Amino acid sequence: MDYIFQGFIEALKLLISFDPEVFKIIILSLFVSTTATILASLIFIPIGIYLGLKKFRGKRIISRIIYTSMSVPSVIVGLVVAILLSRRGPLGHLDIMYTPKAMIIAQTLLVIPLILGLTYNLAKNRGTIIEKVAFTLGGNSIDSIILIIRELKVDILVNVATSFSRAISEVGAVMIVGGNIKGHTRVITTTISMMNSMGDYPMAIALGIILLIISFGINSFIYSYSQED
Amino acid sequence: MELYIENLHKKYDDKTILDIPRLKIQEGKITGITGLNGSGKSTLLNIIGGIDKEFEGSIRYNGKLLNKEIATNMTYVFQKPYLFRRKVYDNIAYPLKLRKVNKDRIEKAVQEILERLEITDLVNKKGHKLSGGESQKVALARALIFEPKLLLLDEPTSNIDPESIKVLEREIVRFNKETNGTVLIVTHNLNQAKRICDDIIYLSFGRVGN
Repeated sequence: MDYIFQGFIEALKLLISFDPEVFKIIILSLFVSTTATILASLIFIPIGIYLGLKKFRGKRIISRIIYTSMSVPSVIVGLVVAILLSRRGPLGHLDIMYTPKAMIIAQTLLVIPLILGLTYNLAKNRGTIIEKVAFTLGGNSIDSIILIIRELKVDILVNVATSFSRAISEVGAVMIVGGNIKGHTRVITTTISMMNSMGDYPMAIALGIILLIISFGINSFIYSYSQED
Repeated sequence: MELYIENLHKKYDDKTILDIPRLKIQEGKITGITGLNGSGKSTLLNIIGGIDKEFEGSIRYNGKLLNKEIATNMTYVFQKPYLFRRKVYDNIAYPLKLRKVNKDRIEKAVQEILERLEITDLVNKKGHKLSGGESQKVALARALIFEPKLLLLDEPTSNIDPESIKVLEREIVRFNKETNGTVLIVTHNLNQAKRICDDIIYLSFGRVGN
């Protein structure tokens, strides 16, 4: 039991002393996951709203595909991206395998189904009535979309936060396409995984604490924002 | 706005919901649509309001089929109105903002309609946090503020207190008299229909009865 306690002490020392390696890992994790979430959100929130509101043939099949893809394991996403970006792969000429760019691509692909599915569901359930109200008050399609985004902003923000949490906490995809290279592609989750297998608990605990703080911070922000609304 | 419905037919899973060969709704009148549950009252209102587009037949608004201009001159108050997650003021001002009315005129119009519906105390409350009766009043205020030529109301007084019913009925009638706007109101309450309507349409199994 002593080593656990000792692990916590060492972890706190690493955090308080602003250990450069720890902070480099944290910054890269935040950069990769934030970029991936923003990219996926900018493109797929409008698409999710459109698909949720629009009536079209095959909508049921599309919903099923979206919902199923929400639970795709991260290692599968990592594997697909690795196959595409590997030297012999169709996108090998880009030469971005084992770089943060590859990690961003993998995490973007990982969170797209989540962003799309959650937004689609939101628009289908609540967006339809808002669209009707906008129409009955004299609004056009653009007015409806603006109104829907305004009305559902808190829920959309919760969806974005959920997607970010999925991105920052996943280990499979970034491990495969990033390679966990020290000072280059090492992020919080891959480091925790590696340190655990090496038996180096202080660093793993320190990064675990940071991951929890990030998660707690995001959820607290969302909670207080939704309370104000 | 005068409405002329011809050969209106609506089916759902092989079941006929509406079958109206001919029906005229007169301009400037309050027309009540009444009937039992499932008689097609709300479906008819949804079709007239342009919300339900899957039907056979035609509806002419002053002789024309539904277009953008007609749509911006009519409005619909739902049985369970959806109010925006914003202040009551912003809810009521919304149709005028869509029509690019200037700020001073919006403020004046909102104040006037709040007083008429006796809801001045609600002006700074959030729309989605109001009670059923308050929501109905705000929804009616939001509909009346831009003086539509056609006002569609689906059970606007269900589940609200008698005092609020009085206010709502009074303002519906006042709107009709002052603007000559056509009002179509779906109601279960035959007494209410007799109180405020000029004409009453009775629907039974999707057909117009006596």
